Amino acid sequence: MAPSRGSDASQSRPLPLLSGPVSGAQGIGQLGSAVPAPVKFILNWGRRYSLWVFNFGLACCAIEFIATSMSRHDFIRLGVIPFAPGPRQADLMVVSGTVTDKMAPAVRRLYEQMPEPKYVISFGACSNCGGPYWDSYCVTKGVDQIIPVDVYIPGCPPRPEALLHGILTLQAKIARESLGERYPRGGSRPIRSVAAAALQRPLVGPTHDT
Amino acid sequence: MTPEDLGTVEESFGAVTVEVPPAEWMPAHQWSRDDGGLTFFDWLSAYDDSDAGLAVVTHLWSVPGRRGLLLRTHLPREEPRLASLTSVFRGANWHERETYEMFGVIFDGHPLLIPLLLPDGFEGHPLRKEFVLASRVAKSWPGAKEPGESDHEVAEPGKPTRRKMAPPGVPDPDEWGGDWR
Repeated sequence: MAPSRGSDASQSRPLPLLSGPVSGAQGIGQLGSAVPAPVKFILNWGRRYSLWVFNFGLACCAIEFIATSMSRHDFIRLGVIPFAPGPRQADLMVVSGTVTDKMAPAVRRLYEQMPEPKYVISFGACSNCGGPYWDSYCVTKGVDQIIPVDVYIPGCPPRPEALLHGILTLQAKIARESLGERYPRGGSRPIRSVAAAALQRPLVGPTHDT
Repeated sequence: MTPEDLGTVEESFGAVTVEVPPAEWMPAHQWSRDDGGLTFFDWLSAYDDSDAGLAVVTHLWSVPGRRGLLLRTHLPREEPRLASLTSVFRGANWHERETYEMFGVIFDGHPLLIPLLLPDGFEGHPLRKEFVLASRVAKSWPGAKEPGESDHEVAEPGKPTRRKMAPPGVPDPDEWGGDWR
């Protein structure tokens, strides 16, 4: 359902809407802002009910996420498809658990690997704000310090029903969003101004311990 | 040779603990493995024993005999040094690296004594008691756990408030600032 975002497609059959300089996410911005409302409705409709989810399970909250994906609560009936092969195939990242300062670069790096448009649900008190580990020396005080979060789900851990409600909230948000507003012309979102390299750490080489 | 020859033996909650002098640390493990039959190295860790210094503990286990032994030694807080056990038990490598970064215990003879778990550039040894947890100095805890703090419950004037609790390691606001109290 996504509009043509590849550059080769626009070169072979140039769309008049794409004649100007394309900024940010290739091609989505101008197309998203210029499409008529019914088309926008259909695009959002397709996007909201096909959320391939990338579970960033870091602690006990991940168990609640898994419970939500299983048969009793079954969020596939809402169009949320669990266990994407990787972040490059995912639309939604659910950060469920305690984000530590050591893990934060990996969270950011995998978020950067997800294709646009992408959404983030922060699941549980730890990823919302650090939770009970506020005084810890190593826990990040909320995953929103490193990536933008669309929906926060409170609880320690939240029940699966809370995640279902969070998914419905996110779908309602997608339904009324405009990609032209999400990717404004001539600029990118502020959180994207920091390169992923800023949070990288060098690879750990093999150690030769006897 | 018996465990009594290694050091002071005490028993608590079913676990036999042998207090070993630091100089006898590696010979004691060598003997426990070779002669005592405790061939399985379970773990090595430490705890901050306040005035008594830092205590390093290992747990050894005999799989066929189904019996174990705790070996413990106390080190001075100023310069904790101990012989590495990696030549006796190779599995002690990561345990000693973790103890090194969390407590600052230096293991002589360790092949690669670098931090294991802490993020790059971390300063200090966070499991020591003198390590200050200063998050509340920068920003108070955003949750509401005391009566009267949440929006649903308004504290009555004149009603005595409960004494507020501080987690261990969090500095007093008179000393470090912050507004969490």
